Amino acid sequence: LFLQFHLVTLVVPSDGRGGVYEDLKWKALLCCELPFAQTLDGGLSEHPPVGQCQLLNATKPEFSKNCLDILCWLEGERTNLICNAKSYRAAAAASLLTIRPQLVVQMNVLSDETNHAAQCAGEEIAMCSISLHGNDANVSLTISISLNETTAVSPKMQVSTHHLRRPDPPVNLHYNVTIEGEVIFRWSDTQPDGYAINYEIRYSSNSSLQQWEMVKVKGRSWVTLNDLSSGIRYMVQVRCQSHFNYWSEWSQPFYFTLDVSYIPAEVFTTPGSEITVSAVFHNRSWRASKAVWMLNGQEKIPESQYRVINEQVSAVTVTVDEPGFDTLMCCHQWGERFKCIIAYAKIYTEGMFNADITCQSKNSEVDTMSCEWNKSAWAQVRLLYRQYTSMCETISEIEGSEEAEESMSLVKECPSGAGDHRECTLRNLSLFSCYKIWLEVEGGRGKVRSFPVYVLPIDCVKPSSPTVLEATTLPNKTLSVSWRRPHLPVYDMQYELRFVALRGMANTQWKVIGPLLEPQAEIQLEESCVQFEVDVRCRRLNGSGYWSDWSTSYTSVVYNRKAPEMGPDFWRIIQEDPVRSVTNVTLIIKQPVLAGDPYSCVEGLVFEHQASGRAVWSNETTLVQFHSFQWRKEAHTVTVISRNTLGISTRNRNITLLHQPKRRVVHSFSVVANASCVYLSWSLLSNHPVPQSFVIEWLDLNKDPEQDMSLTNRLQWVRVQSTSRDLSLCRRFYGSEEFTLYPVFVDGEGEPVRYTATRGDPAAYILLLIIAFLSVVLFVTLLISQNQMRKLMWKDVPNPNNCSWAKGMDFRQIDTMENLFPHSEGLTACPLLLVSESICEVEIIEKPHPVTLEHVKENEVLIYNSGDKTTTNSTLLADSSDPLSLEASTAAPTPETSGQSSVTYSTVLLSGQPSLHRKQQESLSSSSDEGNFSGNNSDISGSFPGGLWDLENHVCSDSANPRHSSSYNSVEEFSETSDQDYEASESTGVAKDLYYLEVNEEEKEEDEEEIEETQGEWEKNEMVMRVDARPLLEEKDSTAVDTNNISHSIPLYLPQFRTECINPP
Amino acid sequence: MYFSALLYPCILAMLSLVHGIPIHSDSLKNLVKLQADTIIIRIKDHNAELKLYPKLLIGDPELYPEVPADKPIQGLGSIMDTITTFQKVLQRLPKGRVSQIHIDLSTLLGHLKERMTSMHCTSKEPANGRALDAFLEDNATHHITVRYLALDRLKQFMQKLIVNLDQLKSC
Repeated sequence: LFLQFHLVTLVVPSDGRGGVYEDLKWKALLCCELPFAQTLDGGLSEHPPVGQCQLLNATKPEFSKNCLDILCWLEGERTNLICNAKSYRAAAAASLLTIRPQLVVQMNVLSDETNHAAQCAGEEIAMCSISLHGNDANVSLTISISLNETTAVSPKMQVSTHHLRRPDPPVNLHYNVTIEGEVIFRWSDTQPDGYAINYEIRYSSNSSLQQWEMVKVKGRSWVTLNDLSSGIRYMVQVRCQSHFNYWSEWSQPFYFTLDVSYIPAEVFTTPGSEITVSAVFHNRSWRASKAVWMLNGQEKIPESQYRVINEQVSAVTVTVDEPGFDTLMCCHQWGERFKCIIAYAKIYTEGMFNADITCQSKNSEVDTMSCEWNKSAWAQVRLLYRQYTSMCETISEIEGSEEAEESMSLVKECPSGAGDHRECTLRNLSLFSCYKIWLEVEGGRGKVRSFPVYVLPIDCVKPSSPTVLEATTLPNKTLSVSWRRPHLPVYDMQYELRFVALRGMANTQWKVIGPLLEPQAEIQLEESCVQFEVDVRCRRLNGSGYWSDWSTSYTSVVYNRKAPEMGPDFWRIIQEDPVRSVTNVTLIIKQPVLAGDPYSCVEGLVFEHQASGRAVWSNETTLVQFHSFQWRKEAHTVTVISRNTLGISTRNRNITLLHQPKRRVVHSFSVVANASCVYLSWSLLSNHPVPQSFVIEWLDLNKDPEQDMSLTNRLQWVRVQSTSRDLSLCRRFYGSEEFTLYPVFVDGEGEPVRYTATRGDPAAYILLLIIAFLSVVLFVTLLISQNQMRKLMWKDVPNPNNCSWAKGMDFRQIDTMENLFPHSEGLTACPLLLVSESICEVEIIEKPHPVTLEHVKENEVLIYNSGDKTTTNSTLLADSSDPLSLEASTAAPTPETSGQSSVTYSTVLLSGQPSLHRKQQESLSSSSDEGNFSGNNSDISGSFPGGLWDLENHVCSDSANPRHSSSYNSVEEFSETSDQDYEASESTGVAKDLYYLEVNEEEKEEDEEEIEETQGEWEKNEMVMRVDARPLLEEKDSTAVDTNNISHSIPLYLPQFRTECINPP
Repeated sequence: MYFSALLYPCILAMLSLVHGIPIHSDSLKNLVKLQADTIIIRIKDHNAELKLYPKLLIGDPELYPEVPADKPIQGLGSIMDTITTFQKVLQRLPKGRVSQIHIDLSTLLGHLKERMTSMHCTSKEPANGRALDAFLEDNATHHITVRYLALDRLKQFMQKLIVNLDQLKSC
């Protein structure tokens, strides 16, 4: 029996006819009838007999026939299909132990798709394998069996490998959230439509994956997941079941966390269109009413654009005006802050945005171009470019006029790919091709892109720096510089050169010269022998491009014709170091160091030392300002020599340091300073050798010792010829510097002489004198003016002897006021200032300052006097017989108070009326508020029995005390009552008719403010003024009052004050 | 003579021991501090670019535990563990300027690993690897805020590391 398999792969799907799919295997039972071949004379017949085969559905073979059990299955991951055909005879033979002819099985396998065919044969059993390359296929299978030269061929069998495997698990697992907050979980089926019939979904919130929630779904690829908690990461897996009841493996796990879901999560819109995005708060503690929407995490969207869908869902409507990429975040208000989670909604606004793409190319072995751009920090972009052969202008015109579809095959991408880049370097470019460069926002489906730029790389080349730079400082004050341009790019170049002097701290500013068209330059200098640091850069001469970087700096070489002739001048500073017990000497080199010849420069110094008994040694330095060494207090000679490349100087100065006592040659030394100069002069002792030179040193006081601690930096010195005996130094001097004069001899220094400068400048003294003189003049003027004012004030005061009431009185003999007013009826009891027309004009002599009660005697006149200790005051007090003397009052004004409004009251008081006293005090206290009668600065606020200003008592109290007379000794200021004050007084009703004392005509013009400001001064000075009492509510400039004032103007005079009570008509 | 014969091998042995220590403890501390400061500055610049609204609070410390927040520093092992986690996060983010921080972090990890080797410390795998993967996968589309959150927490860790440099001396 010979078995032959034919496995053929068919394009048309097979239904698997003739076999069954079971347990991931294809099974068939093939039974064939094989007639015995007729053998004649031992030879073969001309036509061998042909058998017939039949595929049986029965699982049991017909033993009368030659049956084969066929099995096909997949090996590995769909890599091979293996089919096995095994005769039942093989099994029976073993049991029956009968010897039967061998059945030969041949199997043919053919795959059209792969063009693979396999043939295999065997006795009683045959096994074929065909490669499928991982794909599903329909394989055709034919088997032929041979026995005793009789062959039977099976009908074509078809095996679908698709049914021999488990279905693939679902893919593309994802979820949507509905506006109601429902979570709908979805997936995609990898099987042909309708293949999968059942699905199982399992999900777990536990990271250990021990507790799975299972959901079964039939016929649809989505499921609603309920009872999910927020803030928990879930893992979900899905599997499907095929028609043959095979379950797929579980799908790849899908993770998700429910915090805030956006509907939709991505929006594509156009500029100016309104979009609405909703956010579902899965966290039940978050409320939609507390939602805060943020645009790009930067800008809070106004609440007017929010809409609360339900307790957990908030929506916002926004309009994006510009193309590009934006994000929306829905946060939850949490106190002052907004709590947000990681998720955000993405808005792609279609169109072109401005990315400010700028490119800079480099022309070298490999031409490159680096481009930079701006983008939103939230956007992920990719740089795309395309090369054209046309000119950039042409391309931009064509593309600007029509919306040309980009042929993506010609478009290249920046090697760094999509990401958060802001620059990209393109390599292997052609400098002479036009490149179109633009950005595309990742995820924007190519519809959100930047405006393209068209770049011809040759136009934006940043060339390499010039090389081989050489610079020489020539003796003719010229700096000669040459360099070599970069070979590429080949266009004409322009250059810029910058240089800075290496010597001198002040010249650190670069000087730039350009544009230069040749790779060389000669620069005229202000001084020679100076080394310079030189840089050069280049760029395209005509056309656009960038400047190269500055070249490597080059220090110019100083050109010399010969060695310097003389060494530098220098001086020394000797400093004792008590800590280390050494003496340090610092040499200060005079700058600039001159070579003494116009054709040579000094490039460095040589310090040659020679100590007594020791060898000579030297130090070679550059052009330094200082040189220090330790001195062993022995004779030490230092010579400073200039040097350049051609040799050293021959005329050099030296200094000899000696520890032995120095000879004294200076007889006198003096220094006089003025504002800008110091003048030094000295003389020498006779019969002493003349020094070689003099050195004058001093400390620069303009330099702050705290900031510039170094003595070497603060010490100034100057060398003077030996013949000079004076010197004028003009620079910034304080005038208090200490100058030291050193006579310098060949063999050492003489004894120094010190002198601290004195100011010889008379300007300061003159200024002081002028100030003193002006002060005296001012004082005298004030005294005179005071005297004049006093005269003006008192010239109209009549002699009291002329008054009617005083006729016959001798004031000199009057001891008391009772003597002065002997008749009680003499004082008319009339209402004082009852109505507005009732004017009492008072001119009062006041003694200001805190009032002290000098004498309190019953039935005696009390005089309140100020604490002023002036002579005038004393006179007033002492002369009790004439307490109201003119002398006392006229002495009151002082220069400080002249022209100020102030009143001094001389009040004659009657004691022994406590009730009246009290009442008066109250009255005055109440009125003081209205009339700026401050209790603190008014003597009136003190005891005031039966005072004239008892305004509450409109009836004169003279009946009780006909000799009622009060002396006010108070300083008061008078100002208009403000409206507010007036209103206050109206409301309280304390004051009925308010009066105030008006200042004189000229004084009342002064501002109230000024009066208040000078209040303090007034308190300290005696003042004489006229007062005008009138109702406070009356207008100040009332003509009637003025007329009254004028007509009844009474000179300041106490008796008149008492008697000049004008009754209203 | 015998004494000197013994002395020389001892000196040589001590020298070889000294040579065997790759990085001195103090120099490592300085190096780590320098790198941590550099990373902090880079992160500050990076997150400042977003110009976030000042009141905005992205990711509470109790949220997203997969990205270490306020994790205690207990020796080299815990430092390595935390930095490795951050490095994984940065690795999954889109390329760009954050790549430099990723490189810095890798270098820092290299130094710490070398230190661990010299101290014969046993390294362990980060415990929350699977959860971190899940977190990154879940939030793959929101890389800007993930990056912000991760860098902010990395900055805090670097600040903590700077004041706990003595922890580099223990495993």
